[in-house]
Amino acid sequence: MNGAQHMGSAFVVTWLSASLRLAGPVLLAALGETFAEQSGVLNVGIEGTMLLGALASFLVSYYTGMIWVSLLVAVLVGIGANAFLAWMYVTVRASQVVAGLVFNVLALGVASTIYRRALGNSAVPESIAMFHPLHVPVISDLPLIGPALFGQTILFYLTLLLAFVAHFILFRTNFGLALRASGENPAAADSAGISVYRMRYVGTLISGAAAGMAGGYLVLAQVGLFRESIVSGQGFIALGIVIFGRWNPLKAALAAMVFGACDALQLSLQIFGTGIPPQLLLALPYVVTILAISGLFGGNAVQPAALMSPYVKD
Amino acid sequence: MAKLFERRLAPADSPLAIFAATVGAFLAAMLITAFLFSFYGASPFQAYFALFHEPFATLRGFGYSLVRASPLALIALGTIVSWRSGFSYLGFEGCFVIGATAAGWIALWTAPGARIGPLPFLLFLPLVILIAFAAGGTWAALVGLVRARLGGSEVLISLMSNYVAILILQYLVSGPMRAPGSLPETPLLPRATWLPFILPGTRAHAGILIALAAAGLVWLLLQKMPLGYELIVTGFNRLAARYAGIDVGRRLVLAAFFAGGLGGLAGMAEVLGAQHRLMDGISGGVGFVGIIVALLARLNPLAVIPTALLYGGMSVGADAMQRRASVPSSITFILQSLAVLLVLACDALRYYKFNPSVFGRRTPPSVAKAVSE
Repeated sequence: MNGAQHMGSAFVVTWLSASLRLAGPVLLAALGETFAEQSGVLNVGIEGTMLLGALASFLVSYYTGMIWVSLLVAVLVGIGANAFLAWMYVTVRASQVVAGLVFNVLALGVASTIYRRALGNSAVPESIAMFHPLHVPVISDLPLIGPALFGQTILFYLTLLLAFVAHFILFRTNFGLALRASGENPAAADSAGISVYRMRYVGTLISGAAAGMAGGYLVLAQVGLFRESIVSGQGFIALGIVIFGRWNPLKAALAAMVFGACDALQLSLQIFGTGIPPQLLLALPYVVTILAISGLFGGNAVQPAALMSPYVKD
Repeated sequence: MAKLFERRLAPADSPLAIFAATVGAFLAAMLITAFLFSFYGASPFQAYFALFHEPFATLRGFGYSLVRASPLALIALGTIVSWRSGFSYLGFEGCFVIGATAAGWIALWTAPGARIGPLPFLLFLPLVILIAFAAGGTWAALVGLVRARLGGSEVLISLMSNYVAILILQYLVSGPMRAPGSLPETPLLPRATWLPFILPGTRAHAGILIALAAAGLVWLLLQKMPLGYELIVTGFNRLAARYAGIDVGRRLVLAAFFAGGLGGLAGMAEVLGAQHRLMDGISGGVGFVGIIVALLARLNPLAVIPTALLYGGMSVGADAMQRRASVPSSITFILQSLAVLLVLACDALRYYKFNPSVFGRRTPPSVAKAVSE
């Protein structure tokens, strides 16, 4: 194997493996958001929820060192925060975009206040216990796909599994049917005996649990510390992935891989040193997401018909 | 038998009811935040005194409040134009950055010996206002175009475009426009391009006058001009607007252009009035706080100025509070956003009629009658 070939395969290996690694948290958040949107709620608040989940898991891991407990706490924090959001969306019937957006500012304030309270203003990044990549004998050592597919953390495989579970629940169970009916035609669902309010509460809480866990994923499997910019739009990208994935968990998984590939391209190209300014590469995932959801490729017709419209029971 | 809370068919929409709901929500937010202060061992009274004394009771602090209020007011006005036209634009962080970049670029070109060379201020000011407005406006109009022609969701696309704009500025200040030195920032803008200071002894600059003029113009546009009426009709009911012969797509793009232009002016005011150079992180969330200001002002252009002054002042007071009461300044984000969330929640209360007469006989019948009406 000559040098150039070696460089090439090293590039592909790091790129593939980073693609899947970076796709994980956004996919997890997008899976939860799919439930909220299928029930008729556009939950913009998952950006802030991810931040709260990230902070919660960081603090628990920092003080106890128990990573599974940290992840669980992140999920619970996500559910708690979204109970408030669900109340705003469903019971108060506030504009979903407004409530979610303002909640993100609130979450930023809460997260940075608590973080400073807990660790003071010392800017020293604290390191914590983290999930490590699995290493399965033999298959993890396969050339190219080995490290990429079989060298991820357990959270990645859990997320992939959840994509199939989410798909099954949404399209193969009565609960999924009731949830989708609430987002498609709430009045008809109501007259069929489905509690639209309850479905929307459940959908929002599921998205909160997933977003909280995605925040934990970021901290516990990728970054290993907390900073206010740790989420930086990944919650919004998850919203884009839901659209790009046509409100379908399995297609969302593919969409998340595309996003991960764009994000990872910037990392790999920086390692191998090209002349392209890093900021322009960093903008790539956002630009690709914009193009994907712009409607250039169709797809707006699949959107749940009652998305963003509060339901008033007569 | 009357219930204590009786549901109305429509919310009480008298100015008094709206005012009461807004002020009540704000006080509730202050009460909740007061509990947070006590976590820091600070007395809530001391903390609130620090939060409001410096920005509103000292001349120097008031000057800073005006400085912070100018971009907030302009962004809030942009929010009003786009949202009342039914275009849920959230990309003001990006418009701010693009407007600031355009203004900074032009200002650097007018440095002695640069491409254009010094311009008289009375020529420079209209030029830079025009260019910053056009730059921010075009940035937002692109999203409007996507929405009108392709049907993409402007909510998400505008949120994403913020990050793209911020990265463009980051690239410019760390590459082509970078000044020699360790920080990613441009050289100081020529003194002749700074907005004039308007209050002696303070940093208050003419940006607040631009914001005042813009508030008047937006009010004129929406209340008195046929175009504004068409925008509002488009916002209320797109199908009815189309039926009335309004070109809805074109109105959306136009609303986006105006909104983005106002966001661009906000960036211009900040860079020419306060920072006097371009740097990474110049926006710092102002695009979102500006939207919050518009919401608290109930999308009313005239209420924007006092609201922006309140929120700008609070961000000045937050720093004072951090110094004096050692409460982190991020707590004001909580207060500022909680206020709006509670306003939304209190709006639900306006659907209820309060019948104190249920409590019994001590209420004189005449009062009970007046209340129930």
